[in-house]
Amino acid sequence: MVEVNWAQVFFNSAVTGSLYLIGAVGLTLTYGLSRFPNFAHAEFIALGAFIGYLVAEQLGLGFLAALAVAFLVTGTIGVLCYRGIFQPLSEGGASIIHLMVASIALGFVLRYSIGALWGWKPSYFTTTWASFEIGPLRFTGLWLWLIFAAIALALAMHFVLVRTKIGKAIRATSSNPELALASGINVNRVILITWFIGAGLAAIAGIFRAADTQIWPMTGWDIILPMFAVAILGGIGNFYGSIVAAFIIGMAENLGVVALISFGLSTEYRTAIAFLILIITLIVKPQGLAMLFRRA
Amino acid sequence: MDPLVYVLDLIVFIGIFGIMSLSLNLEFGFAGLANFGKVAFFLVGAYTYAILSEIGVPFYFCLITGALISAMVGFLVSLPTLRLREDYLAIVILTFGEILRVVVKSERWIGGGVWGMAVSPAISIAGASARVGALVNIGLVYLCLVICFLVVQLLTNSPYGRVMRAIREDEIAAEVLGKDRAKYRAQVFALGSAIAGLAGGLYAQYIQFIDPYMFMPMVTFTVWIMVILGGPANNWGALLGAALVMLFDRGTTIAKDYLALAIDPINLQYILFGVLIILILLYRPQGLLRESKVKTKAIDRVGHERRATKNKGS
Amino acid sequence: MKEELLKIREVSKHFGGVYAVNGVSLGIRSGSIWGLVGPNGSGKTTLFDTILGLHRPDEGAIYFNSTCISHLAPHQIYALGLVSAFQIPRLFQGLSVLDNMLVAARGHQGDGFLNSLFLRGGWQRQEVEFADRAMEILELLELDRLALSPASELSGGQRKLLEIGRGLMASPTLLLLDEPAAGVNPNLGRRIFDGIENLRREEGLSFFIIEHRLELLFDFAHWVYVMDKGKIVVQGKPQDVARNPEFYQVYLGE
Repeated sequence: MVEVNWAQVFFNSAVTGSLYLIGAVGLTLTYGLSRFPNFAHAEFIALGAFIGYLVAEQLGLGFLAALAVAFLVTGTIGVLCYRGIFQPLSEGGASIIHLMVASIALGFVLRYSIGALWGWKPSYFTTTWASFEIGPLRFTGLWLWLIFAAIALALAMHFVLVRTKIGKAIRATSSNPELALASGINVNRVILITWFIGAGLAAIAGIFRAADTQIWPMTGWDIILPMFAVAILGGIGNFYGSIVAAFIIGMAENLGVVALISFGLSTEYRTAIAFLILIITLIVKPQGLAMLFRRA
Repeated sequence: MDPLVYVLDLIVFIGIFGIMSLSLNLEFGFAGLANFGKVAFFLVGAYTYAILSEIGVPFYFCLITGALISAMVGFLVSLPTLRLREDYLAIVILTFGEILRVVVKSERWIGGGVWGMAVSPAISIAGASARVGALVNIGLVYLCLVICFLVVQLLTNSPYGRVMRAIREDEIAAEVLGKDRAKYRAQVFALGSAIAGLAGGLYAQYIQFIDPYMFMPMVTFTVWIMVILGGPANNWGALLGAALVMLFDRGTTIAKDYLALAIDPINLQYILFGVLIILILLYRPQGLLRESKVKTKAIDRVGHERRATKNKGS
Repeated sequence: MKEELLKIREVSKHFGGVYAVNGVSLGIRSGSIWGLVGPNGSGKTTLFDTILGLHRPDEGAIYFNSTCISHLAPHQIYALGLVSAFQIPRLFQGLSVLDNMLVAARGHQGDGFLNSLFLRGGWQRQEVEFADRAMEILELLELDRLALSPASELSGGQRKLLEIGRGLMASPTLLLLDEPAAGVNPNLGRRIFDGIENLRREEGLSFFIIEHRLELLFDFAHWVYVMDKGKIVVQGKPQDVARNPEFYQVYLGE
C-alpha cells in the first residue's frame, strides 16, 4: 500500500488545474464563438513561452515583463491570424474540418518559425524560485504564482463577463450570435477581443509551463490535448464550466498518478487520463458540464 | 549516400505514403469522415508486423494480419463515434491515436516500449547491395499500392461509391433514402484502416526498426496535406499529393546538404507546407485534381446519348 | 373496407416540454391522395419527421402496412416502402442530378460492399435499367437535359422538382411530400399535382401531402386532415372541410 501525501496531491491538482484553466479559456471561448477547434492554440502557448524567454532571459527584463509582453504580442498575433486566415475562410463557407486543417497548418508555420528563430534545443528560464515547505507540502514560488494567476483570472473574467458591457456582449454572442447581431452588438469586435484575450492567456500559460519544465517549440503540443479536455468537459464556449473542468482534470491526473503507482503501472499513463476524459465526454455527453451553468 | 539509393528510397516512401494517402482519401475525400488519427492505424499495422515477423511468421501473413487487425481496430473505433459531428470525430480519433502511442511507449513487452524494436525486412537476399534491397522493396510496396488503388477505384466508381458521397453530402437525406449510414461508416473506416495497416507493415519492414516516436500526430497531418494538396475525392490526386509532398520533403533535405541557407531547411520546409495548405484552403480548396465523378457504364451511356442528341441539334 | 396503409395512433412528440405533436391519430388508405394542412407551427413537418423515423414518438405508435415503425431507423422505414421528399430540398450537392436519382433506387445490388467490388456485371446491368427509369422521371420533370450537371447548379424550382423526382425514383408504396408546390410558379405547381394524380391512377402510388396552396391540394386530395397546435382539429373530404367554419378559424388565428 502506497503512502499517499494527500495534501501534496491536492496542491498539485490545483497547480495542474490552474495551468490548464489559463490555457483553456482562450480555447473554449474561440471554439464556441468561431465554431472550430483551433489547434494553433498550441503554438500560441509556445509563442508565449519563447517571447517570455526573449524578454526575461535574452533581454534580461524579468519575469513580470515577460508575462506582460508575451500576453500583448501573442494576443495581437492571435487576432492577426484570425483576421488573415480564419475569418476569410469562414466567410468563404469553409467547413469546420477545413478550418481545423487551416489551424493545424498555421501551427506548422508558427512552430517551425519558432524553431527557425530559436532552435530546437530546449532552453530554460534562469529565474530562481523560492522553495517552501509547510508541513507535508512542498512547493515553489512559481507554483504559488500560477495558482494566484488562475484565481485572478477567474475573478477578473467573472467581473468582466457580468459587470462590463463588453463582457455582456461576449456572453450574448456566445449563446446566440444572430440575436446578438440583431441587438446591435458589434459581433466582429467581440470576436476579435476574444481571440486577443484567448491567445494572450495561452501565452501566459506557456510561460508558466516553460518555467516549470523547459522551453522548446513543442511546449504547446505537450499540453494542448488536456486543455482540449478541459474545454470540452466544461462545455465548449463556457467559461465557468472550464473552471470546474480544469479542477476536475487536475485532480484526475494527480489522483491518477497515485492510482497508477499503486497498481504498478507506468506514470507515462498520466497524460492518458485527460485523453480518456476527453473521449468519454465527447461520446457520452458532448455538451460537457455546460448544462450546469448559464451560457457564458 | 549513393545517389541512386537515395532516389530509390524516395520512390519507396512515395509508395508507402501513397497507400496512406489513398486510405485517408477514401475516408475523408469520399465519405467525409475526418480521420485525424490516421497514424494510429499505421502504428497498429507496423507493430503487428514487427511482433509477428519476430516470431517467424512469413512476411505476407504479417502484412495481411496487420491489415486485418487495423481493420478491426478501425471498426471498433467507428462504433461509438457514429453519430459524432465531424470535428468531435476528428478530436476523438486524434486523442485515441495519442492514447495508443502512450500505451506502446509504456509497455516494454509491446515492441520494446521506448527503445523500440528491430524488424527484419520482408524479403532479404543474402549479400544483396543496398540498391537491390531498395528495388525489392519498390516491387513489394508498389504491388500493394496497385492492389489498394484498384480496390478504392472500383469501390468509388460503383453505386457504393455513390452512396459514400451521398452520405458525405447529407447523411440525413441518405438515411431517409434507405442508406444505413452506420453500416457504411463502419465499413469505410474498416477498409481505410486496413489499408493504413498494410502501409504500416510495409514501413516497418523497410525501415527495419520501429519505436513510438515514429508515430506522432505529425504523420497524420502529413497525410492530410497530401490528400488536400492532391485533391480530395480523387484517387489519382491522392497519389499525386503523396508524390509532391515526399519530393518536397526530400528536396529540402538535399538542399540542406548542398546549399547553404540562412534557415535550416527542415524548418523552412514545414513553414512552406503550412503556408501552402493555408493558401490552398483559401483559394483552391478542391486541390490540384478535382473530385472524380462516379463512372459506371450506365452513366457513360447517358453521357453518350446526351452528346448524340446535342450533335443532332435537337 | 380497405386496410389502412399508414396508421397513426395517439402519437405525441415534444421538445423540452413543448408539444409539437399532441395526440395525433389518423389513417391513410392506399391508392389515394391524402392532404395535411394547417398554419405554420401546427406541427405538420414534425409529424412527418416522426413518421419517417427522424424522431421517436414520445407517446403512441405508428404502423405501416401493419408493421410497427415507431422505433425503426429511417433507412429501415424506407425499406418498407415509405419514402419522403423534404420541404427544403436536401439534395446531394456534389453529385450530378442523375446520381442523385440513382442513390434513391431501391434494391440496388451495387450498394453492398462486396457486391460492388465483385458482382460488377450484375449491378452494371441493373444500373442501366435504373438509369433508364431515372431519365424517364427526369423527362417528366423536364430536368433530363441537366442529368449530368451537378445538383448545385439547379435553380430553386428545379431543386424542388429533383427532390420530388428522387422520391418517385424510390418506388415507394406511400410517398410523403412536404409542400411540393412551394416556391414554384402556379403553372408548374398545377403540373406537379397533375403528375402526382397520374402516378396515383396509373401506378397505384399513395401520397400524403402537406401543402399550403390549398386551392391546389383541395382539387386533388381525396381526404384532408387539418392540424393546429399539434392536434388534428378538422378532417374530411376537401369540399366539406372548405365549408367548415372551424377550418377558417384555424387559419385566421385566435
